Parts: sequence; structure tokens; C-alpha cells
Amino acid sequence: MSALGETTVAHGGPLRSLNALAKLAGPVPVMIALVFTRGVPLPLAFAVFAALVLLVGARLGAGWVLVILLGVPALAAVLGASFGIWVDQATLPADAAGSQLVLAELGDWRFTGAMYLVGFATALRIAAIILLAFVSGLTTTGAELVRALVQQLRVPYRLGYTALAAMRFVPRFGHELEVIRAARRVRGVDRDRGPIAWLRGTVGLAVPLLASAIRHAERVALAMDARAFGAHDSRTERTISRWRRRDTVFVLGFWLVSAVLWWAVETAVA
Amino acid sequence: MPDAPLLQLEGVRIRHEGAERATPDGVDLVVRPGEVVLLLGPSGCGKSTLALALNGLVPHSVPAELDGRVLVGGLDTREHRVGELAERVAMVFQDPDAQVVTNTLLDEVCFGPENLRLPVAEVLERAERALKLVGLWERRADDPARLSGGGRQRLAIAAALAMGSPVLVLDEPTANLDPAGIDEVYAVLRELASDRDHAIVLVEHNLDAAADLVDRVVVLDADGRLVADGPTREVLTGRADELAALGVWLPVSTLAALRLRETGVAIEPLPITPAELGAALDAAPTLPAPREAAPAPVEPGSPAVPPLVSAHGLSVRRGGRRGPLVVHEVELEVPAGDFLAVVGVNGAGKSSLLQALAGVLAPAAGRIEAAGIDPARADAATRSRAIGYVFQNPEHQFVAGTVAGELEQALALQGAPEAKRAASVASMLERFGLAEAATRHPFLLSGGQKRRLSVGTALIAGAPLLVLDEPTFGQDRERAGELVALLRGLNDAGTTVIAATHDLQLVADHASRVAVMAEGRLLGVGPTAEVLAGPLIEQAGLRHPPLARATRGLANHPEWRAVTRWAQLPAPRGEA
Repeated sequence: MSALGETTVAHGGPLRSLNALAKLAGPVPVMIALVFTRGVPLPLAFAVFAALVLLVGARLGAGWVLVILLGVPALAAVLGASFGIWVDQATLPADAAGSQLVLAELGDWRFTGAMYLVGFATALRIAAIILLAFVSGLTTTGAELVRALVQQLRVPYRLGYTALAAMRFVPRFGHELEVIRAARRVRGVDRDRGPIAWLRGTVGLAVPLLASAIRHAERVALAMDARAFGAHDSRTERTISRWRRRDTVFVLGFWLVSAVLWWAVETAVA
Repeated sequence: MPDAPLLQLEGVRIRHEGAERATPDGVDLVVRPGEVVLLLGPSGCGKSTLALALNGLVPHSVPAELDGRVLVGGLDTREHRVGELAERVAMVFQDPDAQVVTNTLLDEVCFGPENLRLPVAEVLERAERALKLVGLWERRADDPARLSGGGRQRLAIAAALAMGSPVLVLDEPTANLDPAGIDEVYAVLRELASDRDHAIVLVEHNLDAAADLVDRVVVLDADGRLVADGPTREVLTGRADELAALGVWLPVSTLAALRLRETGVAIEPLPITPAELGAALDAAPTLPAPREAAPAPVEPGSPAVPPLVSAHGLSVRRGGRRGPLVVHEVELEVPAGDFLAVVGVNGAGKSSLLQALAGVLAPAAGRIEAAGIDPARADAATRSRAIGYVFQNPEHQFVAGTVAGELEQALALQGAPEAKRAASVASMLERFGLAEAATRHPFLLSGGQKRRLSVGTALIAGAPLLVLDEPTFGQDRERAGELVALLRGLNDAGTTVIAATHDLQLVADHASRVAVMAEGRLLGVGPTAEVLAGPLIEQAGLRHPPLARATRGLANHPEWRAVTRWAQLPAPRGEA
């Protein structure tokens, strides 16, 4: 969402001024840990935590505030139901919370509160991970991330800036895909339904798209070569990406708060 | 040594990997500081390849074999990397989209100097100077994607200037631009050329725009051999016949003057710009009467021909139901047998209008009837029997693995029996000169063949109406001419043709009527001669084609003011 342009979703706020890597280093371990959790309380706590960090730390437009406060919870609720439907009642303990509550019934099959809770837990994990990803995603530009990777992590600049240039292909290909779809409609192909027809249609789309992508990439590469990209071992960094004390404080603070939160939730539930 | 050569080519031959012959083939060339050189030649002569050799992209980045020597400021390009040579030769390419690598105009112009490891202060200073020179400094914080095509090409020029190189090479910098963009780019180039700070090597087909700013013309023949090298006027006018025979497109004004000479009008010296031609015509004491404009196929007042296409209150949105309106309430009727050109700057709504007429886009409002059907409602088979649509890039519409398969798919859609299909496919292949390529993959055809195949697939189901979206875009004059001749032939045989295009001289020479669009609205439709003589072209932000520009302002020969098309020039003696 921030790959293009030098603007981010956030208009300002303390998170904007942090190093791009700090905003990744803080949340990423928590995101990984959340993948392995079960139950509702932990992901719920971290979803709320991440939302608070975002709302306090970044100046967001009304649209994005609504996404965080209503959109993501609504997504979790809906995803919870659709995951819950696939839960096998037999695998749940008979006394699981909500197993007496029947939400829907279709012949023999019952959708119980317990099933919904299992699905909801999974959905909440996804919601929490999305919100944690927003902490950097909504407040960092692609260029800032590349600069931090090149300057702090010593990632080769040829790689970083080429990736940045490649990001500019995305909208172009979106547009191109639209044209190719329209052209195939006009030619009257891709009318059959079913998986095989779908596969054939996708391959049919891929050929012209790939041909054009390769040609475009070659041209961009020539244009970059012609402007001395890759000629030297380093290049001038006009904007210096700094790792300041506040970045260290943010990362350590984020970890510390997360650990305390984790411990508090675990003990409260037990 | 102020006059040491910046570029020195000795016996340069370049053979692309897999190619049989070398083009260019044995070119010697010296470019000195401040020179503005135009490199000309017919398609396939290797002039773009030669341009790529000037900063070492050939042989370092492009798989090709280089014989002879290219010296850049005394450095042999074979022994130095492109990165080093980039400080001495900067390059601007044809496709403005494929040169942007960063997210703001300022970053874009800084990109090159940053790669050269210049100190930040100097990077910024160069960027500011370059952006100011092309008139984009105020927009430095914008995303390049928000610029027009002409704006992006000016940005590419600024990015090249910021390299600080004494030589600037431009490879067909205006081939992908609309007339307004071409003017923008040439305004910048004219300024650069008059500053004399840079040597400029320009590869360009559009001689009408380039002729008055270059001092020297270098011409390659079809085999890639150097056939002329000298001052612009000397080469373009002194050897005009020879160049025309080589397939090089001379400026329209020069060609028109040559034709007039054949009819006995002494025009000396030969003009190379419309203004010069106009002045020469005015200076002539008498001119033969121009020929009548070709009679319009539909005579005014004849009710005989009912419209083949009619659109009423047509509005079109882009990008779905909530997208912006890009065509507003168009009223248009196209009689059967018409050759209608739709003109307008980029973003005027030409493509959207055409796509709605052909059923590619559903209209947001209004009624359309085309060749007896409602194109938005009809199924693909019915539609392709009525309307053939050709996309701007023919590759987008190829769906089969062979050329014959492409044509056959269109027949299979109609449910034609297999035995019958083969005969139709064979005759279509023959008609479009593709018989030898029948079993090849469509993507492996040449540009001209691809275009012909796309027209063939659009017509094989028997559609009486052919709609083309900028069929000449990004092509050189020779290919554009071939295509227009093909359309001319189809139109003469009865196919109704609607084509969007930027090339107003082609419009003047071939279209029977012109529709002018600006900002999504149809400014007007009328017979070509009337539209070109009226104010609509300028209202739409377009420029008159070269011949019209020369004749519009004539003071002494009023009967010549309406001369806009080639066919109106008097016939040479002994013809007519």
C-alpha cells in the first residue's frame, strides 16, 4: 500500500519518524509467535494493542481509522463464521464453551457456538497479524524500507533499488491485464466454465502478459544501465536512513510490552 | 582541445544475436561538441542499434556482435563499462514508461548522479538545473505516473541532462507521443540545440518536427550502410530524390515542393518546413490550380446511405461502475462505407468511444446500434460477425499458438464446419501476405505482420465494420503507411472503417470524415477537408498537418488555402 509514491497512508505521527526496520523488528517476532497460539484472548489482546499503537502513533485519515476500528473486526467476525463451518464437532470436547448454543441448523448438521469460537480464534489471529503488519505498512514508504535495508542491513543496493523499480510495474500490469481480458472477451475465448477452462484461460492470459513484462523489463534495465546504475560499488544516498536511540527504544519497548501483555493474558486465562 | 571529437565511429558493424546480416554495416562517423546530428534511414537499417552502441549498451547489455571501434571521448566502448561511458553519453529512449525507476520527479532526476557517487549538494544542484530546463521543477514532488506522455519524456531528458554528459543521444523520443507531447519535447530540444552546450544525436522519423533544429543529417540505407553525411539543407534538399528512393521519409514540405517542381513551378531552394513552403508558394507569381479534393463518398443531401453506426447520448465510464465518466453524451452517425478518423490528444476519450462502439466496454448511458446489433448486448459470435475490433497492441488479442490458428479460432466461434474453415483461412492468409508465416507463433511475427494478422482476425467472420484503436501508434512512417494502404483497400472494397489516430497527415490523405474529440466530448464531425480547414483541430489542442500549415496562411493564392491532402497537389505534367 505504500510501495508507490513518497507518501504513506499515515499523514504523520511518531511512527512516521522511526526507522523502517524498527517498525518491522518490533512487530515481526510477535506476528510469528501469534501464528502458533490457540484461543481467543491472546490474538484479541494483540489486535487491540496493535490498533492502539497505530491510532496513537500515526496520524491516519478517517477512512483508515474506520478500517482499523470496524473493518478489521468485521472481517474477523465474518472469517470466524466461514472458518467455523468447517470445524468437526466431534473433535471438540463435549463441555467446550458454547457447545449447547446452536447458531444454525441444517438437517442433522448444527453450527454451534463452540465451532464459531474455534473459527473466530483463527480469524482473530489473522486480524491481529494484519494490524501488526499495518504498524509498518501504513507508516513506511517502499523507498524508506529499501534505504534502511541498504544502509543499515547492508543489503546490496543493486538488489534494493531494482526491486523498487520493479514495484512500478505493478499498476502497469494491472492495466495491461484489464486490456488483455477485454481482448479475450472480444475474441470470444474463456467462455467455458470449470477448472480446466479456468486453467487454460489463465495460461492464455499469461502469455501476452509475460511477453510484455519481459520486454518492459529489458527496456527498464537498459534505461537504468544508461544512467550508470550498478557502475560503482556504492551510490550516493541523498537521504540518510538513521538508526537513532528512539528506534532502539521503540523495538525494546515493543518487545517488553508484548512480553508483559502475553504473560498477563496467559495468567489471567489460566 | 575544444574540437576533439566526442564520438568517433570507425567501420562499425553490428550483428544482433541470431540475425543474418549486420545493420549498421560499416559506419564511420565523428560528432564534435555542439553539433546537432539527425540519424535517418528506412526501417530495419539499424539506426536504433547504432544509437545503443554510442554508450556501450551494444555490446555490453544487448546481445550483439560489434565490429569496428566506437570511441567515446577517446575511450573504446568495448573496454569500458556502460557505467563509465554514461558520464560521457546520456541516452533518452522511445518508451517514456520504461525509463521511470523512482517515485518522484526529483528522485528520478537524482537517480543518475547518485549512481555516479556525486556529493549530495551537487546531485541536487544538477537535478534542479535539469528540471528547470525542461519546465518541471514546480512538479518535482509529483509521482512521474501523473505526468502526460510528453511530460514523462521531458523528465527522461532532464534525467539524461543530469548525468552531465557532453553528448545526448535520443532514440525516437517522440514515437510514442501525441502531437501535444511531440511539441513539448521539441520545444525542449530546440532550446538545448540552441544552447550548444551538448552535442545531440537524434534518431527520428518525424522529420517535419526535427528538420529545422538539426545542423547535420546522416543517412543509412536499408542495408545499414552510410550513404549521406552533411549539412541538413544540403542533404535533405540536394539529395532529396535519392533519399526518397531509399525509403527515407522526407519532410512533407520538401516532398510537396518536389511535386510542384515536376509541374513546372520553380521552387528554389527546396523548403524543409511548412513555413518555408508557405513562403515559397506565396513568392511564386502563379501557381497551377490545385486539384479538387476527392469527392466525399456520401454527397451532402443524399438520403440514400443509412447510418451503419449510430450512437445517441453515449456516455462511457472507465474502471467500472463508479469510475470517472470519460465520454460525455456523444451523438454520432457513421454512414456505411465511411472512413472515419477519430482524432484528439491523449486522454480525450477516443479509445473509450471506440471501445463502446465495438462492444468492448458497456456504455454508462445512451444507445448504440452498430451494423444492426447492440454491441453491448450481443454475444461474442454475433458481435464478431458485425464488428471487427483491433486493439492498439495486437499482441493483446492473440489467443492461439499459430497464425492460422488465430484465424481459425474466429471461424470456430461462428460454428463454421472444419472443412470450410481451412479454405477461408487460406484465402485470408493469402490476402494479408501471411501465407508463409501460417505455422509460426503470432508473437514471433514482425510488427507489420502482427498488425496485419490482427486486422485479418477481426475481419474473417465477415464483419462489415472495422474499428481500430490507434493502429499507427509507435510505428514508423513506413509501417504506418503500409497499414493505412491496407485500410484504404478494405474501405474501397466496402468495409466501413473507424480509426483513432494521432497522425493528421495520414488523416488528411485518407479519411473521408474526421471526428474531433476533446475532454471526452465530441467537438464535431465532418468531411476531412472541412474539419481541417475549420477551427476544431486547434480547439482540440491538436496541430494541423504539415501541408495544411503551409497553405492555410497563404496571402497570394487563396484557392490554395484549402489544400490539405497530397491528392490535391497538381498532377505532374504528362499525367492527369
